[in-house]
Amino acid sequence: MAKMDKKWIILCSTAIAAIYTAGYVSTGDQAVASIQPNQQVQMDIPSNGNQSNQNWQSGNVTENSQSHSIYQDGIYVGMGSNRRGSIEVTVTIQNDKITDVEIRNHNMHYPQYYTDGLPDEVLQSQSARVQNVSGATYSTDAFKDAVQDALNQAQIS
Amino acid sequence: MMRKTKLFMDTVVDIRVVTGHSISEEEIEMKINHAFDAFRKVEQACSRFNPESELMRSSREINKPIPISPYLFEPLKFALEIAKGSNGLFDPTIGKLMENYGFNQNYLTEKNMESTTDTTATFSDIVLNEYERSLLLKKPLVIDLGAVAKGFAIDLAANELKECDGFIVNAGGDVFAGGINDKFNRWSIGIQHLYQQEKVIDCVEISNEAICTSGSYERRSAKNPSMHHLINPRTKRSENHLVSLSIIAPFAMMADAFSTVAFLSGVTKSKEIVESTGVKGIFIKSDLDIVKVGGI
Repeated sequence: MAKMDKKWIILCSTAIAAIYTAGYVSTGDQAVASIQPNQQVQMDIPSNGNQSNQNWQSGNVTENSQSHSIYQDGIYVGMGSNRRGSIEVTVTIQNDKITDVEIRNHNMHYPQYYTDGLPDEVLQSQSARVQNVSGATYSTDAFKDAVQDALNQAQIS
Repeated sequence: MMRKTKLFMDTVVDIRVVTGHSISEEEIEMKINHAFDAFRKVEQACSRFNPESELMRSSREINKPIPISPYLFEPLKFALEIAKGSNGLFDPTIGKLMENYGFNQNYLTEKNMESTTDTTATFSDIVLNEYERSLLLKKPLVIDLGAVAKGFAIDLAANELKECDGFIVNAGGDVFAGGINDKFNRWSIGIQHLYQQEKVIDCVEISNEAICTSGSYERRSAKNPSMHHLINPRTKRSENHLVSLSIIAPFAMMADAFSTVAFLSGVTKSKEIVESTGVKGIFIKSDLDIVKVGGI
């Protein structure tokens, strides 16, 4: 085996270091700092997906000061479906921008989609020797309806 | 095992961390959130699908140095090094061409990007000033940092999780496997079968390494179904010598960039690239012949 070309290793490790030395991680940039309240809320959500599908919303107490807002800031649950079953996402909206889309029910319906590419015997035996697949196609199309559903709820009428 | 799955960079980002050992679940959850923050920040900096991204905002003026954050500067610098090293076979100014082939829709807003560019632009029209940390474009162009930015986000996420005993960062099939799995073994990563969605064609065991796969079976152009998303900037065509090429490297940014470059180089040249850089490669040809390079 050829000796690893150090140049690329150095480029990669200095790239990571640059983020930290610039203080971007410790202080956080504005965009990330501003969504902290929502993340706090989000951490209270059980991530096991066992919740009922009630449409709850929780978000900033403070009103968005921009008068031309399209969406109410907050966290919204959107439902959608594709041929493999239903899909549930949690969409965080901040200043009319989607800042986070979490797939909530991957323990229920998502694995069927996700495990595309695993050999049948692995799925059946549940040994899950192969838990990850490189090169599998992960289209975001399957989630568009669910994201749109959340946006509809967030829309200021 | 703690797991969270989110959408970033038009793909599904899945993070899993082995629990029950030295670090509390609360701490692990915080680390996972920080890892996702890395994806959010890199996407906000590098997306060509969002007019408000740092990349697109910094690309509006010509011949004027614009100071940029390291979230944009670093992957761009890496992309330019790869472009130089591959004599332009990999060229981040391919953004406009990608737009023309229909790879131009924002996956969240579903808005299309239509940019006006100088079609003669190449990577040599992008100038980075290391001292001032600025970007200067000599011609109007669209920078596509696609694979490199995703790789960089994976590496930053892995860095946030490095104190965990074992973790996986999987961004649309580009995977960094850290430490050990919940059975105390190296992680097994399957390689997507080319023609059968439900199957893997091969399996590798890795630890503290990334594996990225470029395949012509992936994203097809909506405007021209014979075209996929790996486009040779010289011929403006998709390459079909190989159907799949996986690179294993210490960093995802490296694995991602080299899998793209090697894929575009064709079978013979790509083996040379893998051997000369010392990464590991798994090549799969259309007859499903598997060739491994670099001591796997």
